[in-house]
Parts: sequence; C-alpha cells; structure tokens
Amino acid sequence: MPRWRFAPMALAALAVIACNGCHRADQGRKLIFIIVPSQDNPFFKAEADAASARALGLGYRVRVEAHDDDAYRQDNLVDAAIASNAAVLILDNAGADASIAAVRRATKAGIAVFLIDREIEARGIAKAQIISDNDQGARLVAAEFARVLNDTGDYAELLGRESDTNAQVRTRGFHAVLDKFPRLKLVAAQSANWSQSEAFQKTETILQAHGEIVGIIAGNDTMALGAAAAVKSAGLTKIRIVGFDGSPDAVDAIRRGEIQATALQPAVYISKLAVDEADEYLKTGSMGRREEQIIPCDLVTQANSGDYRDFEKVR
Amino acid sequence: MTNRIEAVPHTRRAFRSVARAVLALLRARAFLVLAALLVLFSALAPEFLTTNNLSILTKHVAITALLAIGMTFVVLTGGIDLSVGSIAGLGGMVAGYLLTQGIVVGGSAHFPLVAIVILLSICVCLVVGALNGWLVARAGVAPFIATLGTLYIARGAALLISNGKTFPDLGAAEHGDAAFPAFGQSFILHVPSPVWMMAVLFVVAWIVAVKTPFGRHVYAVGGNERAARLAGIRVPGVKLATYVFSAFCAALVGLIIASQLEAAHPATGESFELNAIAAVVLGGTSLMGGRGSVTGSLIGAFVIGVLADGLVMLGVSEFWQMVIKGVVIVLAVGLDQAQVRLQSKLLPYLEGGR
Repeated sequence: MPRWRFAPMALAALAVIACNGCHRADQGRKLIFIIVPSQDNPFFKAEADAASARALGLGYRVRVEAHDDDAYRQDNLVDAAIASNAAVLILDNAGADASIAAVRRATKAGIAVFLIDREIEARGIAKAQIISDNDQGARLVAAEFARVLNDTGDYAELLGRESDTNAQVRTRGFHAVLDKFPRLKLVAAQSANWSQSEAFQKTETILQAHGEIVGIIAGNDTMALGAAAAVKSAGLTKIRIVGFDGSPDAVDAIRRGEIQATALQPAVYISKLAVDEADEYLKTGSMGRREEQIIPCDLVTQANSGDYRDFEKVR
Repeated sequence: MTNRIEAVPHTRRAFRSVARAVLALLRARAFLVLAALLVLFSALAPEFLTTNNLSILTKHVAITALLAIGMTFVVLTGGIDLSVGSIAGLGGMVAGYLLTQGIVVGGSAHFPLVAIVILLSICVCLVVGALNGWLVARAGVAPFIATLGTLYIARGAALLISNGKTFPDLGAAEHGDAAFPAFGQSFILHVPSPVWMMAVLFVVAWIVAVKTPFGRHVYAVGGNERAARLAGIRVPGVKLATYVFSAFCAALVGLIIASQLEAAHPATGESFELNAIAAVVLGGTSLMGGRGSVTGSLIGAFVIGVLADGLVMLGVSEFWQMVIKGVVIVLAVGLDQAQVRLQSKLLPYLEGGR
C-alpha cells in the first residue's frame, strides 16, 4: 500500500508531461531567436524587423533581443535562447573573436546558428555566415567619390570606431581605390566613432584647418550626415560627401543633393535570406549552401536613389 | 623656532610672498593650462588663431560649458549629476517628436510653434531634473545612484519616443516651422547662438553663486550639511534647485545639438556627463562639495574643448587624444590636491603676518 503514496505525484507528473505535449501541439511552431546589436540604429532595426517578419510569415515563433555590442550580454542572451529551446538563432554578433564561444555553445545545444552582417573568426560552427561585402562596397563608394571630384583635390576622411573591424575594412577599401589617384590628397583623417554629432564637430574643425578641402569620405552614413550639416553651416556648397550603409536618412539626403553617394548594405535581403535558409535547413536537415556567403553592396546616387528604401531595393 | 623667524623678519616676509605666489599659481592652474594650450596650438597650427576658428571652437566649448555650469552647483552641494547626457538626448528627442509628429488632438496632428516646442522640451527635462532632486533631497538616495537611475530612465524614454529611430530633416518647412535650426545655428552680432547661451548662463550662474543668499546656501550645504540645516537653510530645497538647474542646462545642450544637426538621434549625449564632470574638476571644484567656482568650470570646459579641437587640427589620432585628455585631467586633480595640502600647511604663516 505505501507504494501508492507516489501515485498522486506520478499522476501529476504525467499530467504535466501530457499538458506539455498538448501545449507543444497547440503551439507546434518552432522558435527563431534573433539577436542584433541594437534597436536604436536604423540599420539593425531594419535587419531585425525583416528577419522577424519573414520568420512570422513562415509560421515560426520569434523573439528579438539586442546585445548593445556587449559580448557578455550576448552570452546571456544566447543562454536565454538555449533555455527557451530555440530551433534557430539568427545573430548579428558582438565581435569576431568574442562571439565564437557563444556560437559554439548554441550549436552544441542543438540550435542552428545563422550569422548575419558580421562574421566570426571561426568556420564550421555556424550553419551560415551571410555578410555584406564591406570591401567591395567601400571600393564602389570610393570610385564614385573620385569620379565626382574629377580625380583631383584635397579630401578628408571620417573613420568609424577604430577598434571595429568594419571601420578598418572600409578605410582599407577606400584607400585601395583613392590612393591610385596621384592628384587626390588625404589631408585629414579623424575617427568620429560612427556618431553624427561627433562628425559634425570634427568636420567643423577640419574645415578650419584645411579650407581647401573639396570632398569628405565617411565610414558610415551617420557621420556623412554630420559632415553634411557642418558643411552646410559653414556656408560651403562645393564639398562632395559620400557615406556607407544606405540608411533611409542618407538616401533622402542624396535625393536632396546634400550627399553624393553611399553603398547600400542589403541588410533586409540578408535577413530574409538567413531566415529562408534556416527554414530550408529545418525542413530538409541539411544546408544546400556553403557557410560563407558574401552579398555585394549597391551604389546609391541621386540617379537611382528612388529605387531604394529602408536598406532594400524596392524597384 | 618662532623666535628665530621673528628675529629675521625680512626672511619671513620673503618666504610669505613666495608661498603666496606659489599658491596663486596653483589656484590659476586651469587658466595657465588653457593659456599654454592656446600658445601651443597657435604655434603648431597656423589656422588655429583665426576669428573663424575661435568662433567655432567656442561653439564646441559651449556644449561642455553649459553642462559644466549646471553640474557645478550640483557638485558644490556635494552631489553629482550623471544623467545630464541622457537628459540632453531626451530634450532633443521630445523636440524632434513635436516638430515631426505634432500633438495629436482628436485624430489630427497640430504642429506647435517652435518656441512652444522648445519650451515643452525643456519642461520634460526639468521634470527629470526634479525627479533627481526629489530622489536625492527627499528620498535620501545617494546622488550617484539616483542620477544613474535617471540616466537609464531618460535614455530609455528617448528611445521609446521614436522606437529607436532618428527624427530627420528637422529644418524642413513641412515640419510646422523652419525656425528650429536657427536655435543652435544662428549668429547674433557674429557670435553663434550657443556661445550667447553659454555667456548669459555663465553670468547668471556667477551672480547667483557669488552675490545671492541662495549661492551662499549652496556652498554651505556642500561645506557642512548639518551645520547648514542647523543654521536654518532649507537643505532639500537648495538641492532640488541645483538638480533642476542642471537639467535645464542639459535641455539646452540637447536642443542645440538637434538644431545644429537638424536631426534628433536618441543616443545623443552619451558620455557627455563625463566631459562635464571633467570640466568641473579641472576648474578646481571639489567633488566633496563646498569648494569651487563657476568660473573655474568654464575654464575647465575651455581646456577640454581647446584640447579636443586643437588635436583634431593637428591630425592626432583618436587614441592619443583620449590618452592626452586623461593625462590632463589626472594632472589637474593632482595639482588640486597639492594646492589643498600646501594651503593648509602654509595658512598659519600667511595669516600670522596679517
């Protein structure tokens, strides 16, 4: 008889399992966990929104989080993804080296990890690394920059946060093109840390030191917009400015002629592609494509600025 | 010992005047550093000492100076305000929202006048300042913690207003009125408007600190809070006022930046509080409260601004700029401590002569 003491407990346990089962059956849908660097940046927001919309459309549950470029916070979020039994992790990571361990842990826990926008310094852990071609984009913008300047004149460069891989790749791409023109001369190079207000102040100061500048090439659009505001406030009109990213504000400024060009990173396309590949992987159990996928950037100028909206070619 | 010094009066007088001179030099250290930087940059960068550059430089300094002037009063009471950068960001975002979205009444958006937009933005920031003041003065929360909390609250609120987006193109006529860019971009008598705001606020702050009972109360609260309370000073009221004033200064900064960029970005003002605190400390205001001056903070803001712009003109890399700024701050605080120690050692001799 004492054996039956456990009956209520066993029944309760059975009930929980059964209920969990019906819960599962009820929800039935697998979870796609999306982690992006921040939600206050139009680029990452577009990326997160596109991935989330596509995943919901394909019938998945979705959770979106931001790691604020903090590898430790990213670590905690990956733990959260593991704990909530996510099937897929779509990750725009917090550092090429600092993210490897987190990605490995997620993979070990049975989550299919798809990296977007930024790569990690390790292969064979993530299912895919889909990134935009920063080097090609930088060369594209630099060539257009040289063209609008007629290959001649002094120019300034605003760099992104110098510890950031993309800042380095972009400036290298710029110079791979610009240094071939002997009459184009770099007279000032400053980091404005991707920030609009910092770019504004630094451009004002650079314009004072180098009044003969005819062009400014910036490592991202926010800094290009800051430079454009400074050029405007100095009453100058002949200075040509180019940026990088293809943010909606920059595309508008290109339409108005305040900025000449930008390289649009196909963030929306990449996000959708990652979700589609994840969907295919979950259904077939294998990856049809190679891990490393590099998507080229588009050059946006006044002529084709109407074709782009929110990091996406719409026409 | 004393007898011996009395026996040689002229030696003692000489010692006293040397001590006075050393102390005066130490007291004027921020000013001396500033003068040295100006000479250095003028020599190294030929365009540095032009009217145009000095005008732009002062405009850049105004951002830090406005925050530092507000911060000075808070620090004088023995507090600290970490939330000023976030409040600046919030002020800009409220203005950006009102200019682009208007106020929705009964399904249709009404676009208020730019003056009203500016007033409303300032009011929102003052509420945060009042919250700081209430937490510190009434609820008894340590200033560091209270303003750290509002730092996050204000930043979160700024992000929530636009759901993280930037309000672009605030100069466009379709956003109610094209007058907003004038707030931070216009010139009055060839001087940029932010510099005017800095000048007016400095004069007001100086008069309040030096010439009014309220100013003396601020020093008294920071010097010895218990004594101040026993002397009948309404300590909570004084503290509240300093945080509200600091928030007002931060609001101006947020509006100036949004107006200059013609765009409001929710992350504007990140780490501005550190520049403001650095300026206050460079100016010789003690973080323990009770000792310091608004003039010092203004000079401190100039030191930071001149350093930043001068190094950019010389093309020094960002990494070195940070190192140099840090060294200047550490040196200034070291000298501050040296002055305090020297002063307390020399005081008996100096006063003995009177």
